[in-house]
Amino acid sequence: MKRFTVLDISGDIGLRAYGESLKDAFISAAIGMYSLITNLDAFKEEKTIDVFTESDSMEGLLVSWLNELIFHFDAYGFIGKRIVITEITPSLSASGGLPPRRGGVGEGEACKLKATISGEDFDPERHERKLLVKAATYHRLRVEKKDDKWEIDVIFDI
Amino acid sequence: MALEKLRRIDDTKIEVPLDYKPGMGVKGIIYVDDLLEKELETQSIDQVANVATLPGIVGASLAMPDIHTGYGFAIGGVAAFNLKDGIVSPGGVGYDINCGVRLLRSNLKKEIVLPRIKELVNILYNEIPSGVGSKGKIRLSPEDEGRLLIHGARWAVEQGFGDAGDLERIESGGCIDGADPSLISRKAYERGKAQQGTLGSGNHFLEVQYVDEIYDEKAAGSLGLFNDQITVMIHTGSRGFGHQVCTDFLEVMERAVIKYKIELPDKELACAPYESPEAQDYLSAMRAAANYAWANRQCIMHWAKEVFMRIFNISPKELGMTLIYDVAHNIAKIEEHVVNGKKMKLIIHRKGATRAFPPGHPELPEIYRALGQPVLIPGDMGRVSFVLLGTGKAMKETFGSTCHGAGRVMSRHQAIRKAKGRAIWREMEDKGIIVRSAGRETLAEEMSEAYKDVSNVVDVVHSAGISKKIARLRPIGVIKG
Repeated sequence: MKRFTVLDISGDIGLRAYGESLKDAFISAAIGMYSLITNLDAFKEEKTIDVFTESDSMEGLLVSWLNELIFHFDAYGFIGKRIVITEITPSLSASGGLPPRRGGVGEGEACKLKATISGEDFDPERHERKLLVKAATYHRLRVEKKDDKWEIDVIFDI
Repeated sequence: MALEKLRRIDDTKIEVPLDYKPGMGVKGIIYVDDLLEKELETQSIDQVANVATLPGIVGASLAMPDIHTGYGFAIGGVAAFNLKDGIVSPGGVGYDINCGVRLLRSNLKKEIVLPRIKELVNILYNEIPSGVGSKGKIRLSPEDEGRLLIHGARWAVEQGFGDAGDLERIESGGCIDGADPSLISRKAYERGKAQQGTLGSGNHFLEVQYVDEIYDEKAAGSLGLFNDQITVMIHTGSRGFGHQVCTDFLEVMERAVIKYKIELPDKELACAPYESPEAQDYLSAMRAAANYAWANRQCIMHWAKEVFMRIFNISPKELGMTLIYDVAHNIAKIEEHVVNGKKMKLIIHRKGATRAFPPGHPELPEIYRALGQPVLIPGDMGRVSFVLLGTGKAMKETFGSTCHGAGRVMSRHQAIRKAKGRAIWREMEDKGIIVRSAGRETLAEEMSEAYKDVSNVVDVVHSAGISKKIARLRPIGVIKG
């Protein structure tokens, strides 16, 4: 199954990411984002980092997850090749849906994510330079379950 | 259809009326002529209307002719809020805080530089770090970074980048008061420590240009510009440092919206009341990022100057490469404006809009007091850029603001698709423009066709009287990220 497609929007660029599970869709979004920055094929799994992030909504968690990865790239040059999400809460698999946004049941319930990412530091001599992704945004942001599969739309500021 | 409610005010502007959208506190005004009106995106008009619903907005929700859809706020937008019940919004500034432009003059004429332009562009490209994943030549210790955030371009001058005389030729003297490094996250510090003195990517550039048309001889002369003269334009901002500040504070503001019970038509307009600690903290952090950007452009200018001296083997005096001006086009500032005959302090958000203060304005340095503020409008890499001056009419109509560039018409992806199989650099070279870029896709997404013609944009602000055309600059060499 295709992990992601690129969304065309004026001025910037977006992704539609797919996954069999929520975890899987979060990984697809991350891989998709890395693919906007560079060509992942040329990367090896040389080092591993741990990432932890949280938010008070699932959409917020996605944005902060991707922004965390942008931070590790922009500050330290790290590009992930293999991503394992060890924990995502609430898992949403039982309820089959998202925790309601603000004002609903579950408000204030923290969404958390832990991941281990293997990859390599970007080297402009060896790795392709594609887009400079400044941030993941809330613009047209969507995290949805569709026919047992998960779909994410996210737009990046370029 | 709400679009039918738009009303043309005159040849250069249309009104987005109060009943365009529920909750609008003021009307919207978009500066476009018939030509550019055809390129208006519906979503960007909605964004102008959405901004008009924000608490404490004063006058009108404004947009310049280079308007296009942004996040929450349209790019090309100007919004003024009163300090009593108005708001501050990071979305009204953007991710690239104090993205801006500076212009350098020189004593060189085009015919001296043209024969060596390839070599010049190659060396500039090697000397000025640019592109995705590039690191700068400067490594900032936390102490240095803290000082830089407070002192801006002044810090750069103290490190030997440029002269003290440059500072008065930078908006806000290259250093805006009220920056507080203690409000900066560890992440922003980390992203900032190796990115000072880097160009970045996307639409950022350094261009070698020449003056190819002068519209006002006297004013151009006062600015030190003459026909066929070589100029250098630098377009960049606060890099990863500013992006992180914006990212950090969007989260803060999202919580603030709940805390202060602010009703928003779009989540991305997240904001806080001006007097709230959240807004004050954002402004202090934003000012630090603005100072980071002014120092950045100061360092890059210094290296560009060195390259010219080396290649042409001339002294600084012979080269005569001095700063004309440096403007911010993504910033929020407290300024005094006259509203309904009353002087008021306002917080002006300019997101993809340039300050354009008139002659006599007290914030202008002595050298430009009689002339008015220089306004620098970059076009896409294949067309032209402009020098304008601020006007009294801008003070009356647009809180002393004008456009900032060409504005995209094609999405980046569309442009990349359209450029497939084409060698954009060769097409540019055929037009007499030597381009070096770190990324192949950068050239594709930045090709001329992806942008509105900046000449049309500038014609609108000139005809509307919110700034005045002085000179046109044509590129001969471009470095891009």
